[in-house]
Amino acid sequence: MSSRGCRGGWIRYLTSLALLVTSSFVIWGGFVEGIWLTIPASGTKCVSEEIQSGIVVLADYYIVDDDHAHLRTSSISSRVTSPFGNNLHHDENVTHGQFAFTTTEGGNYLACFWIGGQHQEAAGLTIGLDWKIGVAAKDWDSVAKKDKIEGVELELRKLEGSVEAILKNLIYLKNREAEMREVSEKTNARVAWFSIMSLGVCILVSVLQVAYLQRFFQKRKLI
Amino acid sequence: MDRRCLTVALVVSLILLSSFITSTSSLSVTVNEVECVYEYVLYEGDTVSGNYVVVDHDIFWGSDHPGIDFTVTSPSGNNVHTKKGTSGDKFEFKAPRSGMYKFCFHNPYSAPETVSFYIHVGHIPNEHDLAKDEHLDPINVKIAELREALESVTAEQKYLKARDARHRHTNESTRKRVIYYTLAEYLLLACASGLQVVYIRRLFSKSFGYNRV
Repeated sequence: MSSRGCRGGWIRYLTSLALLVTSSFVIWGGFVEGIWLTIPASGTKCVSEEIQSGIVVLADYYIVDDDHAHLRTSSISSRVTSPFGNNLHHDENVTHGQFAFTTTEGGNYLACFWIGGQHQEAAGLTIGLDWKIGVAAKDWDSVAKKDKIEGVELELRKLEGSVEAILKNLIYLKNREAEMREVSEKTNARVAWFSIMSLGVCILVSVLQVAYLQRFFQKRKLI
Repeated sequence: MDRRCLTVALVVSLILLSSFITSTSSLSVTVNEVECVYEYVLYEGDTVSGNYVVVDHDIFWGSDHPGIDFTVTSPSGNNVHTKKGTSGDKFEFKAPRSGMYKFCFHNPYSAPETVSFYIHVGHIPNEHDLAKDEHLDPINVKIAELREALESVTAEQKYLKARDARHRHTNESTRKRVIYYTLAEYLLLACASGLQVVYIRRLFSKSFGYNRV
């Protein structure tokens, strides 16, 4: 699985796309967030992230409209797997989709995309992926409506959420570092023990060797 | 009442529309040869910051990964930022123009590597924006600066988390190596001495004749 390098024509596409996206922003007032990825013509493109447990994950993916002909015939499929191999989301042959889940176990979450149509594209496809976890995935519009807050107060609430997330991450990092320190110290102790034991094994084996050979030569009446 | 609701709605929507368009992406991707990620920068002069760490690597000999190359290309095709041969770095630059930026990782070796990256595009409304939009308070500028400061703390945390993951990978590898290589060493030792005994026995066996020894 290797992605093709970007050809010169991309710059033209990208410029026209930038114009389209900017104009769509002006018209709908929507935000263009997230990254774009290129899916190779054959094979899958996977992205992953290591997420702790109890975090909300919200993601949205769509085919980037660079050429209308592309959009009509191409479709993508996606699969999201948890670190223990459970299938969290599976979609076949769509032009855009989204998935949301709350993590139950900490570990590496994998989202894979591949081109799923019957028409095999000669070149790869570009998809946009909007991947939000934790406090970025929170629905601030509903919070604003529920608590009837707006403007500056809403922004400050968002900042407060950010600060809480930072604190939680800090505690998580501290715990991970403590776990790793334990593993390091265990390995350190093991290195010492195994080296001394290797000396013991060496002496034991050589003593057995000598004893056996002595018995052997006595039996043969050579000694 | 209607007009007041309308003006409130207008103010809220303008505040939400006019500023705070920030974009954040954090993911890990496997790099076989070249992997490119695109991110859109809305305003010229925005600060694009981020970091990347090579997380999953299996080195047998050698103490450090030879590194991957990282390049950032602007929408007009110019190379904005380059870093060659590192296993992780932080970057920050001011976007010379708005548009789609390309962040590419290049792996010069055949073994696939997993790179964990984080890209953040931050915009702080400046005096020009303040003058243009009368609903934009100076307090919005301060809030944007606060937001950017918090984002930089978050970015640092993500970098530390990725480095911790890489360190943990190395630790696990060391732990496994200690156990398996010492067991193999003991077995080899026992085999070597067993072979020695067998050889000496053969030397003294009747078919050879012990005159030859």
